[in-house]
Amino acid sequence: MGSQSSELTVVRLPEAVALHARPAGAFVRAAAAFGATIEVRANGRQADAKSILQVLGLGADGGTELEISASGDDAAAAVARLAELVAGLA
Amino acid sequence: MVFGIVECQAMTLETRNGVVGMVIVSHSAAIASGLAELVAQVAGPDVPIVTAGGGPDGTLGTDGGRVLAAMRAADAGAGAVILVDLGSSVLSVRAALAELSADDAAGFVLADAPLVEGAVAAGVTASTGASLAEVAGAAEEARGIAKL
Repeated sequence: MGSQSSELTVVRLPEAVALHARPAGAFVRAAAAFGATIEVRANGRQADAKSILQVLGLGADGGTELEISASGDDAAAAVARLAELVAGLA
Repeated sequence: MVFGIVECQAMTLETRNGVVGMVIVSHSAAIASGLAELVAQVAGPDVPIVTAGGGPDGTLGTDGGRVLAAMRAADAGAGAVILVDLGSSVLSVRAALAELSADDAAGFVLADAPLVEGAVAAGVTASTGASLAEVAGAAEEARGIAKL
């Protein structure tokens, strides 16, 4: 058993990239690779990072700050990976 | 129309392998193909998506024979979830399922889900390597997600 951990980071979407369609799909598929429970908040809304419909429902346009939090064994890796993915969206 | 067909994988009697596929059944070929395009963009290239849109004569309608062919094309070994639009789409899918043996029919789930949201949710879930039951569950969860 690994130790349970919680992680949180804030990352800003690139100005030209909204979290819609293809980027949102890439985000959710990356999140699904982790066992941790992962949430993402934006615009005062909260979504399960593994639910495409909830992530699309955030309505996060380019430049929006996303707060990504995770809890579970691989929480740190999950948050790091998703922050890297968001920052690298093009 | 076929999007992102994956290689068929070896399948034993006990287990189904590979990525779960998707069949989109609509009275309109344009709705079916447009939705397949959208799902492929969100879910990526690995999910087999096959459409059965329109009636036998190319008009608006549904066609059980076309649905059955689409089901067979979409199942790359892990089964396929079927999304439908309205009314007789359900009847056409049930007619197609009735053509299959019980074992073969077990490889398909007709999802009770809104067409667009269900297809997007199922496609992304399938792309993660999830099981047929998980993919169908993702489609049906779409019923409970508010649009606004």
